[in-house]
Amino acid sequence: MVLSRTQRLLRAFAAWAVVMLFVFPIYYWVTLSIKLDREIFSIPPKVFSFETSAKSYEEVFGISLGFEEGLAVLPGGGDFYMTPRLWDSIVIAVCSTVLAIVIATLAAYALSRMRFRGQHHFVFWILSTRMMPPVAVAIPMFFIYRDFGLLDTYQGVILIHALMNMPLAVLLLKSFFDDIPKEIDEAALIDGASRFLIFRKLVLPMAVGGIAATAVLCFIFSWTEFLFVLTLTQTGLKTVPVVSSTFVTSTGTAWGNMAALGTAAILPAFVFILLVQKNLVRGLTLGSVKQ
Amino acid sequence: MASVEYENVGKSFGAVRVMADISFTISDQKFVVLLGPSGCGKTTLLRMTAGLETIVEGEIRIGGERMNEVHPRNRDIAMVFQNYALYPTLKVYDNIAFSLQVRGHSKDEIKQQVAWAAELLNLTPYLGRYPKELSGGQRQRVAMGRALVRHPQVFLFDEPLSNLDAKLRGQMRYEIRRLHDRLQTTTIYVTHDQIEAMTMADEIVVMRDGNIEQLGTPEEIYDRPANCFVADFIGSPSINFLHGEVQGDGGAPVFRAAGMTLPLPQHSAAAPGQAVICGVRPVDLSVSADGPVKAEVILVESTGAESHLLLSLDGHEIRAVSQGRVKARPGEVCGLSIDPATLHFFDAASERRID
Ligand SMILES: Nc1ncnc2c1ncn2[C@@H]1O[C@H](COP(=O)(O)OP(=O)(O)O)[C@@H](O)[C@H]1O
Ligand SMILES: [Mg+2]
Repeated sequence: MVLSRTQRLLRAFAAWAVVMLFVFPIYYWVTLSIKLDREIFSIPPKVFSFETSAKSYEEVFGISLGFEEGLAVLPGGGDFYMTPRLWDSIVIAVCSTVLAIVIATLAAYALSRMRFRGQHHFVFWILSTRMMPPVAVAIPMFFIYRDFGLLDTYQGVILIHALMNMPLAVLLLKSFFDDIPKEIDEAALIDGASRFLIFRKLVLPMAVGGIAATAVLCFIFSWTEFLFVLTLTQTGLKTVPVVSSTFVTSTGTAWGNMAALGTAAILPAFVFILLVQKNLVRGLTLGSVKQ
Repeated sequence: MASVEYENVGKSFGAVRVMADISFTISDQKFVVLLGPSGCGKTTLLRMTAGLETIVEGEIRIGGERMNEVHPRNRDIAMVFQNYALYPTLKVYDNIAFSLQVRGHSKDEIKQQVAWAAELLNLTPYLGRYPKELSGGQRQRVAMGRALVRHPQVFLFDEPLSNLDAKLRGQMRYEIRRLHDRLQTTTIYVTHDQIEAMTMADEIVVMRDGNIEQLGTPEEIYDRPANCFVADFIGSPSINFLHGEVQGDGGAPVFRAAGMTLPLPQHSAAAPGQAVICGVRPVDLSVSADGPVKAEVILVESTGAESHLLLSLDGHEIRAVSQGRVKARPGEVCGLSIDPATLHFFDAASERRID
């Protein structure tokens, strides 16, 4: 399609407008983290020119960035010291993603390739576990976790996040496996390979794109999950979404600190997606079979 | 190398019955083609032979041994799939070597076998490539190489050439057949292309709707088709059918249709008054100005070497193939001569051959 100059300009303009619309809230959130408290709510809002300060970050992470004299925040001290919470979030998101993906790939492959009685019902049952709203499960879960001693532990939160992700991951991965021609499995079966060898050596490498995409979704879910972390943890650990809410106190909301933590929390998720992203390219199956 | 025997084999997918009571034997070292239109059950039969579909009804024996309960890897067969099913994440070398690797052969032996297969298939320069970096014909060869290295008892091919262009298909046809002549491995080859069947097979099994319609050498099937379906399926352009009746005519019975009278073969089983179908192949009709049967020319197509004519014979459309160029123009009337020895007669009700 050949576009005229005007059309091209219009298209570029529209594209940029959409990007701006999406990026602006994030930008504004980031500016909050480096504004002075008194300027956060100034009317009209100061979008581009304002006095900057690293105070929010220094408080949240208990470090001295050394921009301002006389503000001595001790490492590890301060009311809002949040570095360990960021660490909690990373551990939980990474571990629950790995756990969900490992189990879900195996389940999805089996569902995609093997036939058994009542398979449709089984797939529906997997999906149905996500139909109940999490709020309805949270309280019973609390008691179950208390009795099993999982309350306030990494294992507990990792487990529930992995469980929450599993149904969607299984169904998503199943559709990726379904796209891989089953003749490849059959050829390998005749060649003498075992099911597990076929899965590990042939099918898995072809499904990396789908696995990466699913992993991103699982990671983001765990990274942003609020309800279960709130109910199933006490003092031992907390993830970023939950501790963010502690900035809202009876004596006021620490907007600057909340924005600083939020901004910092974007980074690990961003890095994870960046790492996985190169695998998102599909097309590894190209050339194995003619369509 | 081994024979393959099918005994009363049937297959249903749920309530859908796709095959019933298939029995035939493929003797050792034969190249047998399963031929039939799409959906007739060829692939299913092949997959049952390979062990990819269960055999619930009947029995399949390879080399005299019952295969029903034997795992695919222990049947000592190799299969080439219609879509090749190459392993996309492995290089050509590893694709071919895979079966030997998983069976734990020594590195040296694998190397030697792969080199042998690659040489045979002209794949040596491509061993380091991935399947996606190959052309259709080369992928097809890799699929064959994967089958060859194991020296199986039986080769199974499922329409291996259907994804290639016409010219390559002709060449591969010849190469596969030559490979068989060299290796002498029993081969079951599935296709819907009658040319492939006619040119490659020692024996053809013609199938329709999960039944065997006829089994025989290409010549037998061409010269003495068992029924209208087989007659129609084999040969291009297709055979002409004329519906008519056998009449006594005083002495010898004759066939009368479309304003013609044709003699029946001597000792024909056709009885006077019987409704019959007469099949005559386009190549058996000779077109000439002075032929006894007059037909109007509708269309003339030239392939270069021969001319295909579409004619109207008393209102019925029939086809004729003539060597060389034909001068006739549409609308003209030309003469046809028919050699009674080339006619095929079928009962109109059962569509079975009448001898
Ligand atoms: N897995 C299956 N489930 C249900 N029906 C099938 C299955 N495989 C094949 N069929 C049916 O069996 C018939 C024969 O199929 P197939 O053996 O693939 O035919 P062909 O290879 O001769 O084209 C078709 O009608 C097809 O729809
Ligand atoms: Mg088929």
